[in-house]
Amino acid sequence: MANDILFLAEFTAGTPARSALELAAGAAELAIQSGGAAIGLAYGSGAADDAASLGAHGASRVIILGDDDRPAIAHAPAAVAAVRDAGALALLAPATPNGRDLAAVLVGSLHLPAFGPVRAARVVDGVLETEQATLQGSVVTTSRPVEGVATPSVVLVLANTFTPGEGGTGSADVSRAPIGTESAFGKVTVAESHPADAKVVNLEEATVIVAGGRGVGGEEGFGPLRDLAAALGGAVGASRAAADAGWIPYQLQIGQTGKVVKPSLYIGAGISGAIQHRVGMQTAEHVVAINRDPDAPIGEFADLFVVGDLFKIVPALTDEIRRRSGA
Amino acid sequence: MKIVVCIKQVPATGADKRYTDDLRLDRNGVEAIINPLDEYAIEQALRLLDDGSVESVTYLSMGPEQAAEALRRALAMGGDEAVLVTDSALAGADEWATARVLAAALDKLAPDVALTGMASDDARGSLVPGAVAAMRNVPLLSYGSELKVADGEARVRRLSATGFDWIAAPLPVVASVTDQVGEPRYASLKGIMAAKRKPLETWSLADLGLAGEDLAGGALTHVTDARAQEAKPPTERIENLSAVEAAAKIADWLAARKLI
Repeated sequence: MANDILFLAEFTAGTPARSALELAAGAAELAIQSGGAAIGLAYGSGAADDAASLGAHGASRVIILGDDDRPAIAHAPAAVAAVRDAGALALLAPATPNGRDLAAVLVGSLHLPAFGPVRAARVVDGVLETEQATLQGSVVTTSRPVEGVATPSVVLVLANTFTPGEGGTGSADVSRAPIGTESAFGKVTVAESHPADAKVVNLEEATVIVAGGRGVGGEEGFGPLRDLAAALGGAVGASRAAADAGWIPYQLQIGQTGKVVKPSLYIGAGISGAIQHRVGMQTAEHVVAINRDPDAPIGEFADLFVVGDLFKIVPALTDEIRRRSGA
Repeated sequence: MKIVVCIKQVPATGADKRYTDDLRLDRNGVEAIINPLDEYAIEQALRLLDDGSVESVTYLSMGPEQAAEALRRALAMGGDEAVLVTDSALAGADEWATARVLAAALDKLAPDVALTGMASDDARGSLVPGAVAAMRNVPLLSYGSELKVADGEARVRRLSATGFDWIAAPLPVVASVTDQVGEPRYASLKGIMAAKRKPLETWSLADLGLAGEDLAGGALTHVTDARAQEAKPPTERIENLSAVEAAAKIADWLAARKLI
């Protein structure tokens, strides 16, 4: 219906990504404002097995685009067909590589307005309104679709913009997307897969991040950061310099060319705060920086700037937090 | 085998940027450069040219006449020729209009691979490559840390949840690469001299058969408000304390905000 809110829901091995739960909550919030329903578009391995559970997070219905383990882009033809049929007001997509790819194909195929990545979205008097931080976060712009253009508006949403609801019990109605027209995107395949042995956390899902940069000095320098992250129940991230040096996997890189994160607490240790890193973490609610250089750029935008030796301060902080939590 | 690298001219990173009264990005008097992430696409294309995987590299850009400077800079790094699509009707073009123009130009150039950077410095949606692929109905191989072309197929190495995958599709494709492909080469003096003699064509919308379309005027979104970010309280500093004292102060600060 014209006031429904769609959202992309990625699944891996039958489990929804954190982004799917966040966007379900966001779509439900916007659907209340628009007087419509929140409808999930699910894709990825095992999507059909657990799609109904999105009902507990706010979805009224879920349409399965595809539940095999092909690359996300291979589900684009089904996404185009489902979105064309749905006639909704807006579609929320995660601002991740897969989310952007599917959003881009929808925009290009259906001539839809595009927004984002946004840090807030709402429906005001039946019209979508989004907020975006631009110019290194110094300016916030509000945007709307031009009157009379095609719908749905496609909205790329930053991680942690919406908070998944807790304790819901609903079950969503599940159906299959109509068969898409013959499309080149169906020809994209995974030719080889090289998973790492070690488990790598999804940084976008972390609410506390302890990030290390060049100042950490090497792979073993991340040890104290891991201890602090563990004490805070958080995850370890890195600047591009640390990932390029091979000290940490690229999956943990924060910044323009890595993950864009929005944790409630970000602690940067030995990170100078170059513009490229800043755009990946500037929407964190609280920023603490620990750096030996009193003039490091990160000192200009951190909420708390601690000048000193990270190798002494980080372990001392870990001890202090453990002591206070009685651990 | 032919690659077309799509590049964009953008205001220099860190330049003093602002919005005009009509809520567009003010580009007057701001130094313009090749979008830094596009330089990795140029580097990837030139590596494929160096190792004989492709026979030619063409650069394509849409922008004002000054964007020819960016194309000359790219030609100075290497490659064969360049095309600039410029038209007064394109000022203020959004993602869809940009993709429409690039798709029409690519239809005319008919490359095996249309290659882009992973994002542009001045618009962070990264939607143009996928929209171009959709309009041309060719496969999209995105966010590659390496691109290979052989036997009628293109492949990109792409980060997966824990490791990496090689994602493949039959040619022709649209592909995008990240800053992990390797550092872009510098233009040599010889390269800069040679670039002056390389062909650089300028196409208008009429040359692409798009003259009748209202591209920029048909923008689908508009900015209704631009305001300075709410002023944050000034940074609090902790200096000249022992590690234990500093740690206690940080913990107090975190506790006051209910973060521990």
